[in-house]
Amino acid sequence: MTTRPTVSILSPDGSASGNSHPLPEVFKAPIRPDIVQAVHTGMAKNRRQPYAVSEKAGHQTSAESWGTGRAVARIPRVSGGGTHRAGQAAFGNQCRSGRMFAPTKVWRKWHQKLNLNQKRFATASALAASSNAALLMARGHRVSTVPEVPLVVSSTAFAGAAITKTSAAVALLKAVGAGPDVDKVKKSRKTRAGKGKMRGRRHKQRRGPLVVYSPAEDGKELVRAFRNLPGVETCDVYALNLLQLAPGGHLGRFVVWTSAAFAALDTVYGSATEASALKKDFLLPSPLVRQPDLAKLINSSEVQSVLRPVKGGAITKRPMVQKKNPLRNRQILLRLNPYAGQYSKDKLGQQKKDEKEKIRATDEIMDLMHTN
Amino acid sequence: MASNISQDLIWEVTRGYNAMMVKRKQAGGVQFSRDPLNLRNVHSRKQAGFVNDKAIGIQPGEKGGVKFMTKKAGKANKPASSLQTTTLGSSTSTRKTYRSIVNSTAKHNYRPDLRADAVARASAIRKTQKPVKPDPPSKPRGARARKATESESS
Repeated sequence: MTTRPTVSILSPDGSASGNSHPLPEVFKAPIRPDIVQAVHTGMAKNRRQPYAVSEKAGHQTSAESWGTGRAVARIPRVSGGGTHRAGQAAFGNQCRSGRMFAPTKVWRKWHQKLNLNQKRFATASALAASSNAALLMARGHRVSTVPEVPLVVSSTAFAGAAITKTSAAVALLKAVGAGPDVDKVKKSRKTRAGKGKMRGRRHKQRRGPLVVYSPAEDGKELVRAFRNLPGVETCDVYALNLLQLAPGGHLGRFVVWTSAAFAALDTVYGSATEASALKKDFLLPSPLVRQPDLAKLINSSEVQSVLRPVKGGAITKRPMVQKKNPLRNRQILLRLNPYAGQYSKDKLGQQKKDEKEKIRATDEIMDLMHTN
Repeated sequence: MASNISQDLIWEVTRGYNAMMVKRKQAGGVQFSRDPLNLRNVHSRKQAGFVNDKAIGIQPGEKGGVKFMTKKAGKANKPASSLQTTTLGSSTSTRKTYRSIVNSTAKHNYRPDLRADAVARASAIRKTQKPVKPDPPSKPRGARARKATESESS
């Protein structure tokens, strides 16, 4: 490729601004769903709050076993009398109001250590996937009205704290073609099934576009403008997060870039040959396969030149075919008996035998035959 | 599109799960697709419209007839302008509909492998748009017929 592919920058009203920006190198990172999924499962665990049942639960009784000989199980039993509780089994996980099996502890291993390079690889991979419209559609984003992917909006839209109100934020998203995706999220809000409802996770909803900005140029006012829009998230380009770039570990989040943030990507990630300015010891991963298009690989002259030529050419004789009856199928008959054509053309089948050809044996011969 | 992503890669990434896919455990684990650019609604590499650079979609038109879409090959990263849409209205005869679909795709070397599927889908859509014929009144036979004639004559 001689020229670097460029991405056009949209003006705030959704029309092409005429400016463009070369595609940052990070979008050429390899797409690796396996790495993204593994890193995502680890990272998702690092936000957990410890929880546990009470240390005392199920043990707040002075129950003791009755021992053998009372024809009851040897489980500890609540002592005393005068109440139904007396004599009931206690402590065991099988007992009513006993402790649970293996009570949960706050010192469970809640967090996962992840290798920094893997996290960076996963983020770069998720970013690269966000530049592909097919992957966005496969993730479920409504992008059919988006003029271009990756979607870059000129930073003039945000200059001078222009977007501080949610109404302005909605208008901007609608103008650049992200409206259907925002509407989809709004409609998708459903009550969660199960116990999560009572644990602060009342509703479920889809994820909408992720707005990535550069705080130095775009300011931080837009965060407040966007935050009440369901499903729409904002992210600083210098603190991109895999949990937002690949929600659920699935590649292809719809990202709306400000042009300042888009331009900053090359300084944040560098390239496969130049180290990143902001990340220590980081070179972008380069794809293992230079040509990922299988059809091109197969049709390349290198591969085609070493392949055995196609046998038989355009018309191939198939060895295993259904047997046809030559008496009913004329073509098969002609193949078996080339004379059949001429035979029917001369109408030999319809000819009567000549009468004179019938030669009767003479009497002498008959006599000879009958002599014994 | 960046040069590191190909159709084959997209398919391998999305074939396990994607938003358009319908997986059911019934009927031997069938896999369908809700993709509008999928002619047979089956989840397969050949039919997956969002994966292939060139794809054909045929949907019922708003006012009858069919809406016929093709993907523009060079516009994969421009979703808003990547579809070429033609409406073949209900006044167009079905044969003309099929002919124009085939003429603009398979005959121009645009996914000739989808020719039969495209025609079949257009045909099925047009068939659904026909008014439903009322069932003919049942003709009684045998004992019931004799009974009916008796009651008529008496």
